[in-house]
This record gives sequence, C-alpha cells and structure tokens, in this order.
Amino acid sequence: MSEIIATLKKDYIYNLMIKEKRQDGRSFKDFRDIKVETNVISKAEGSAKVTLGNTQVLVGVKLQTGTPFPDSQDEGVIITNLELNPIASPEFEPGPPREEAIEMARVVDRGIRESGAIDIKKLCITVGESVWIVFIDVHILNDDGNIIDASCLAAIAALMTTMVPNEQQGLGENVPLAMKEMPVGITLAKIGSKLMVDPSLDEEAVCETKLTIVSSSDGSVAGMQKMGPAPLSEEELFEAINMAIEKAAELRSLYLEGLAKSE
Amino acid sequence: MSNKPENLTLITDDGLRLDGRRADEIRPMKIEIGVLSRADGSCYLEWGRNKILVGVFGPREAHPRRSQRADSAVIRYRYNMASFSVEDRARPGPSRRSIEISKVSREAFEPVIMAELFPKTAIDIFVEVLQADAGTRTAAINASSIALADAGIPMKGLITSCAFGKVDGQIVLDLNKEEDNYGEADFPVAMTQDGEITLVQMDGNLTPEEIKKGLELVKKGCKEILAIQQAVLRKKFETPVEEVSEEPAGEKAAEAEEEPEFIAPEAAVIVGEALEAAEELGPEILEESVEAEVLASEVIPDFEEELEEEAEEELEEEFETEEEEFEEEAFEEEAEPEEDIEEDLEEDLEEDLGKELEEEEFEEEALEEEAEFEASFEGAPELKEFDEIESRLEREDASEEAEEEAEPEEEAEEEAEEEAEPEEEAEPEEEAEPEEELEEEEEAEPEEESVEPEAEVAVEEISTEEEPEEEKSEGPWKVVKDPSEAGTRGEKDE
Repeated sequence: MSEIIATLKKDYIYNLMIKEKRQDGRSFKDFRDIKVETNVISKAEGSAKVTLGNTQVLVGVKLQTGTPFPDSQDEGVIITNLELNPIASPEFEPGPPREEAIEMARVVDRGIRESGAIDIKKLCITVGESVWIVFIDVHILNDDGNIIDASCLAAIAALMTTMVPNEQQGLGENVPLAMKEMPVGITLAKIGSKLMVDPSLDEEAVCETKLTIVSSSDGSVAGMQKMGPAPLSEEELFEAINMAIEKAAELRSLYLEGLAKSE
Repeated sequence: MSNKPENLTLITDDGLRLDGRRADEIRPMKIEIGVLSRADGSCYLEWGRNKILVGVFGPREAHPRRSQRADSAVIRYRYNMASFSVEDRARPGPSRRSIEISKVSREAFEPVIMAELFPKTAIDIFVEVLQADAGTRTAAINASSIALADAGIPMKGLITSCAFGKVDGQIVLDLNKEEDNYGEADFPVAMTQDGEITLVQMDGNLTPEEIKKGLELVKKGCKEILAIQQAVLRKKFETPVEEVSEEPAGEKAAEAEEEPEFIAPEAAVIVGEALEAAEELGPEILEESVEAEVLASEVIPDFEEELEEEAEEELEEEFETEEEEFEEEAFEEEAEPEEDIEEDLEEDLEEDLGKELEEEEFEEEALEEEAEFEASFEGAPELKEFDEIESRLEREDASEEAEEEAEPEEEAEEEAEEEAEPEEEAEPEEEAEPEEELEEEEEAEPEEESVEPEAEVAVEEISTEEEPEEEKSEGPWKVVKDPSEAGTRGEKDE
C-alpha cells in the first residue's frame, strides 16, 4: 500500500527537493515536533515514550540479575530488542523480527554500547558470578517514518531515568543507573542529491538510502549504519556526519540534559 | 573492545602491528575462483586468517513465488558462520548479527548488479565463513564480488570492501582479531570502482577528522584489493591459448595476409559440416580432437581452433611422440610445460612471420575477450589500449562476426569452455565437445592451411604478452601464510 503511494508521490517529493523544500514545509535540517515523556510505565525500571511527528516509540528498561560473559566478568550486560509491532503499521506482521527490526535494534544497541553510555562496571554485583542485565525493549507503536531516531532517543531517555532495583535483590537501596554519556542517533535520507534529517514515511519510501549516525556529546561518532541500496559519495558521507553531529547536539540539549539534571 | 591485557602492545613504537604490518597495509589476500562445480559462480578467499567460501546461484527462478519481482531480479545474500569458525562454538543458523550483515552486504551489491535484466528471478549469494578472524564481512563482500563475476552476472563494476579502525589511538587499515577485540573503533566500508560508498557501518569512537583519515586508508586498501580481484578474474578469463606450428615462414606470411576476407565464410561452413562428420568418425579420432580442443580452449574463434589442431599435430611430430598420452600430459594437464614449449618455438616462428599479421590476430582476440568481460572489467585501464584496435577490427572482422552470428551453437560452446576453470578445462572439454574437434581436424587441414600461420602467430603473441602480467598479478595474493597458527577469538554477538 505505502509503496504505491510512494511511487505516486515520488515526483512530487523530488520536485520539492530541487526547490529545497519538503512535503510538510520543513527545511532539510528540521526535525518534526519531538516530545519525550519518561517514567510512563511504572512496572519497568525505566521507560520513555518519544513522539516524533506521528511516530510513536515506547522503550521499557528492565533489569535482571544474571551471569556475566566469560570475557568480561566484572561488567554488566546490555541486551537490546526492537519490535516492529503490527499495531504500528499495516506493513508490519506478527512473527519473528524481520531483518529491518534486527538491524535497527543493533544500531540502537551499538550507539549505547560503543559510546559507553552505561557505566557497565557499576552493574557488577559479584565478579564472575552475578551482574545486572539491562534489557532495553523498544516497542514501535506508530510508524510514521524515522522510527530509528525516535528509538535511539527513547532508549537513552529511558536509561537515564532507570533505577537499579537493588531492594528487590536485597542489595540495599535502589539507585539510579550510572550513566556516562548521552548518544543521539540522527538519520539522514538521501533523496536525489540532497540529504535531509528525520525523513517522514513518504520520504523514507522514496529515498535512495539512509544513513544513521550516532554521536556522543564530545562530537565524536559512536556508531554508523548505512541502510538502503544506493551508494553515497565521500562528500555526502562527511556532509551527513557534520549535519548529524550538529543536530545531535541540539536534540541532546533540548530533550536529554533536562533529564540528567532532574536526577 | 573488551578488556585488553595490560602487557599487550598492539602497535610498537616503530609503527609495526602485531602481525608485522604497518598502519596502511592490508593482510595478505589469496583468492581462488570457480572452486565449486555446482554453483554458477564461486570464490574461495583467504584474507589473513579469514577463510571465506562464496557460491553464487542464478539468475534462477525465485521461490517462493511471492518473492519474485516483476521488474527485476531479487538479490539474496546469506552470510553464515560455520559453527567451528570461531573459538567458542557458534550456534548454527542465522544470528541477529548474521542477519544484519546479510542485509547490509546485499545492499552493498544492489547498486552494481544489473538486476533489471532478469525479472522474476533470484540471484543468490551464499557466504560461508569457514574461519573468522576479524573483517569477515568485508572479506565476504570481496569474495562475493568475484563469485558474481564468475557466475557471469552483469555488473556495472566490482565491489571492494575494507575496514579501518582505531587501535591504541592510531588509525589503521584492515584490523586483525586482536586489534578488533582491543581496538577503539571498527569502520567497515564497501565501495564501487568509482569510489561510491555502498556500505558503511561503524562502531567505536571516532572524530570526524579520524574518519576522514581512515577513509583515505580505506580507499588505498580498496584499490589494492581491486587490483587483486581484477588480476584473479583476468587470470581465469584471459588464459592465453598455447599453440605452436612449424610451417615454412614464407607460405604462412603470404597466406595470412589474405586471410581476413575469405576465412570467415570457410570457417562457418566447416562448423556446419562438422557435426555430421563427427558422428562418422571413430573413437581414435575423438581422442585426437580432444587434444586440439584443449589447445584451442577459450578465446579462439572456430576457424582458429581448427588451425590450432593442425599446429598441435606439428608439435607432436617435433617431439617425436605419436602417442596421445604424451600430448595430454604435456599440453592439457600442465600449463607450465606448454609455455616452455611455446617459448622454444616462438623464436623460430617470430622470425618467419610478418609482424603486421601478429598484430591483427592479437587484436581480434583482444576484442573478443573484451566483449566478454565488459561487465566485470568496465573501465579497466588495460583494455583501453585496444580501443583503437577495436575500431579497426570492426571493419576487418565484419565477416567473422557474420560467421559467429550464423552459428550460435558454437558460440555457446565457447562460452562454456571459458567458464570452466582453467586447470580443469581439459576434462570438461573432452567430454563435452568431441564432435567438433573431429570435424575440424579432418576438414580443416586441407582447406585452411592459409589460415594457420595467423592463428599461430596470435597464440604466440598472447602468451608472450601475458606472462609478465601473470607474474605481476600473482605477487600480492600468493603470499599467504597458512593460517593454522594461533586460535581466533569468536566474533562476539552482542
């Protein structure tokens, strides 16, 4: 269904692109309206719901104790799951995760893991025996484009409000999850010769390729993934990196730094 | 990126890495092409301690049917790790990691594979990682590129892939396992021959400046890998035909000059008659013809094959061995002896023959080769040399082209020969095409003596010119250590 609409709209979107315009009137560097709500699920140790335009993503964080990996005995474990819930789009079907879902989950995971967002050393309970396992479960509730940026943002927001349930395990008082970094993922769509942030559903359908760049607060890049068949030139790659770092800093100061202070 | 042993130095003060490389050097790479008989195209690649096997199937009917696309082929890429490929046994079957790699790798190829030529079909690329030692996805992409070319899938160019990373604060090319485990970043890239980036992934921590620096390294690495890939493909598809003959020089020269106009029609006739003639001939003749075929092998047009046969016979006389076994050993199975013989004979022949003739013949062959390899070798600098030649040939060869068009079966057979692996050509050809050769031998000799000199000349030309190139190409990819030492750590799936 959406493919047919996209084909009809393709010329329209391309013509707008040439005039440096977009369907919804944004510039290439504008995000849609973003709303970040935290602690929306009381049963979860941490949670966040991000609304990006009409895209809605809910992330719940659960912590359980478990055994560490043999090669990192004093570190906690991070497990990220992303589900393309059939409620979110007529395109999504129940069943095992499709490759898009797996890819997105791994991109979200990579940003959090590689940027060192979570101080995993502090998740160790007993070296080699018992550590906290952080389950980051991303639920896509409504897919109106760019669910990956919404997922990245929701995941880090949820982690920043997560309490480690020490009481439940008889380990003392509950404490906030130790965080060291706030990675933000920014996805750029390449349409024609132009790169634009936060592609809408239609733009995603007609774009040649997407590039997600996760960057840390010091302006370094923590993760990157090109998704889609078309190639990118080197110039486009660096243009994308610069745009992404800039936008990430903006989103971080608008939506995440407030969460950090409130802790 | 896990805990690094404190006494482990990944890069020495001299700038040397654990395996002795400098920051901008790739690991030794070895590529074998056409290693699987049932696959349409295949490739075995060793890169450092990585061992990758790729088979390509298709274009073939896509199953299930709903996966078909009405306007193009479906490209399917399956990256799979053998359970024994890593230190801790990997669970068989697709993991989340392998599904992701399969997806991005497929997308790395989509810009170059001309899928629109094969609607409703599937092109399957199956990657088996037999031994993993960091950089398997880039190795797999490099191998897949070769396997696709081997399968004859039309592509706009080869895809080359290489990673860079950050180790001990330094940007280095092509991480090995230790560097991957304890380094600070990994940045795999795949690109087209024109430098268009078709795959980008990254994890770790890099500044934009470091990415810029790394990308320069990757471009250098990809260039080197591309040269290896092209050399391998060339070695398979450009194998020279080895032929020698001993006719009086004067006759040859005279006959050869006239050849272009009248040979083509004759050859066509011979081919047509050949099938009938072959049936009539006894088994003894079949054996002889097999030998001739081997020599004729890939690139030579039909009429040239016949000439080659004659040349072979002459060779036999020269060595005073009338037994076919000898010939088979000398010519079919061992490539080196053949070359030696040629070299010996080359000198004599060169003196005799006019140089113009050699050129013409050489050009013809070059043209044919070029046409066949256009898909995989687009833009290859070496082929550009022949541009002028081509235009001249187009005029001269008009008659030959007509010939070829008239005889589609012949062409098909030739193609089949070419696709077979160089080492194995002898066996498949013997079985597949006995009839043709028979005809050629009997009929060709009396009629077409005039043609012989040219064919011989061409053969010699190619062999002399190819030898240096082959040596050069062997340089980078023969330098492979046997990677049995040192355990490799599993690529950890997060």
